[in-house]
Amino acid sequence: MTDETLPRTAQPIEEAVPRQAFIERYRKPLLGVLAVLLFFIAWQAVFLVVPLNTLFLSKPTLIMLGLWDLIVTGELFHDLVVSGQPFVYGFTAAVVVGVTIGIVMGWRARVGYALDPLMTVFYASPLVALAPLVVVFFGVGVSGKAIIIFTLAVFPFIFNAAVGVRAVDRLLINVVRSLGGTEKDLYFKLIVPSVLPYIVAGARIAVGRALVGVLVGEFFAASEGIGYAIAKFGDLFALDKMFACIFVIMVIALILTEGIRWAERAAFPWRVGQ
Amino acid sequence: MSELQATDGTIPATAPADDFAPPKNLWRQLEPTMLGVGSMVVLLVVWELFPLLVPMKPGTKLFFTTPSQIAGTLWTMFATGSIWRPLGVSATGFAVGLVFAIVVALPLGVVLGRSKSANAMIDPFITAFNATPRLVFLPLLILWFGLGMWSKVVIVFIGALFPLLINTYEGVRNADKVLINVVRSFGAKEWDIARLVVLPNSLPYIVAGLRLAIGRAVLGVVVAEFFGSEDGLGVVMVRASGSYQVDVVFSGLIVFAALSLIMTGLVQLLEIRLSRWRPQHVSEF
Repeated sequence: MTDETLPRTAQPIEEAVPRQAFIERYRKPLLGVLAVLLFFIAWQAVFLVVPLNTLFLSKPTLIMLGLWDLIVTGELFHDLVVSGQPFVYGFTAAVVVGVTIGIVMGWRARVGYALDPLMTVFYASPLVALAPLVVVFFGVGVSGKAIIIFTLAVFPFIFNAAVGVRAVDRLLINVVRSLGGTEKDLYFKLIVPSVLPYIVAGARIAVGRALVGVLVGEFFAASEGIGYAIAKFGDLFALDKMFACIFVIMVIALILTEGIRWAERAAFPWRVGQ
Repeated sequence: MSELQATDGTIPATAPADDFAPPKNLWRQLEPTMLGVGSMVVLLVVWELFPLLVPMKPGTKLFFTTPSQIAGTLWTMFATGSIWRPLGVSATGFAVGLVFAIVVALPLGVVLGRSKSANAMIDPFITAFNATPRLVFLPLLILWFGLGMWSKVVIVFIGALFPLLINTYEGVRNADKVLINVVRSFGAKEWDIARLVVLPNSLPYIVAGLRLAIGRAVLGVVVAEFFGSEDGLGVVMVRASGSYQVDVVFSGLIVFAALSLIMTGLVQLLEIRLSRWRPQHVSEF
């Protein structure tokens, strides 16, 4: 977790103030780390007073041991690879298809008129509900999961790419046209670069939805994978390993979303604050 | 937390005004609607005619349904009233979870917006929980609360909590500092500041958060009922997909989507109504 370093880039003004006391300058991350530590210490300490029923709850030390066990036996790594594969396929397909449709929708007004209501309906309906059908039809392997992930993750890309294209500076379009640029030049020299920030912002939302897709696919029917592991350890009342897997997913989700956020700030600094 | 602001997946665009738009004739005005409706009609017709045009193996046919079949099933479900009981169960879980989320999110959001230390301490938890798909907690919740209503309520609660909390916080933080100082100069306590300045000011943010929360809550109901419930519309859908009644699955999907759209639309109306007196830049949020 990069909590300690992130706020520095987020608050350049505070850093510009020289000779501030260390505690004053890093007050926010320090308090955050302190709160997280306190939370875990309190969690551990409660069971000094209350008897621990391991079928119902676990405590941090046991969870650490469970996590260590999963890592050493290679189970965790195996499950992550199994889940990661459809994630990569589905997400890549979502990026390619979503951005293409979105750009055309945003650029061609009539295509936009025709597809906007349709896409809104799809986006608003809980498409997770189709997961059982997909699983029954495509099976529990990579393809079924990848399709669920794709269906969930494609819409943020479509909408954000479309909005991004509509926000392209008209003046620049006219400049490219006046200088004799073709339709292809417009797409590759103007539209794609100015839409990129929007797509990255969409990716942040899509990552969360894609993770939901992984879990949905694996809760339904699977024999391996991180989502399956959580469900399995739940059924076995192995709460220490279950919590370990939950924490692993939390950390992965945090790294992915915060990583994209960081990339956004690094690549498109002019968009910070929008 | 400022960048955490919940959005519904799109960035509001400020489209440049088209000064050179040609004079509008009737076709130009109707075009967007016609094309929008047209594409849906085309999709439905193609879907309806698909089994007639493309030969399918009997095995594949099991997984296929047509819009007319779905409409028929939907009609039967409403006509015989068989939909009301599961729908009622789902709606109860939805409503209880959402109310809990509102009751917790509003005060907590105000506290976080007013106190920097509280914000710094709670922020890591909010970031972590907001990034994590809440579905991950479902097996744990089923273990704790059983297959009944409460695991569903908690999933809805977690889903709806964060958009409400984050938007309340943003609204409170963006309250006009001058107004706060004025009220304070006249001897107001922290409670008066919250009541007179902060809450009215953050109302549009809260309502926008509510709009997002509704969508997430509906999703929460569906997901919770899929994996850990004995009763509800989601359960009906899972059982139907197990017995290849694809039309029932789609009917349930349509009911959920329609309810979600209607509720979101109503909140949007409320949003517009509430921000009518506001300067433009706020109501555009």
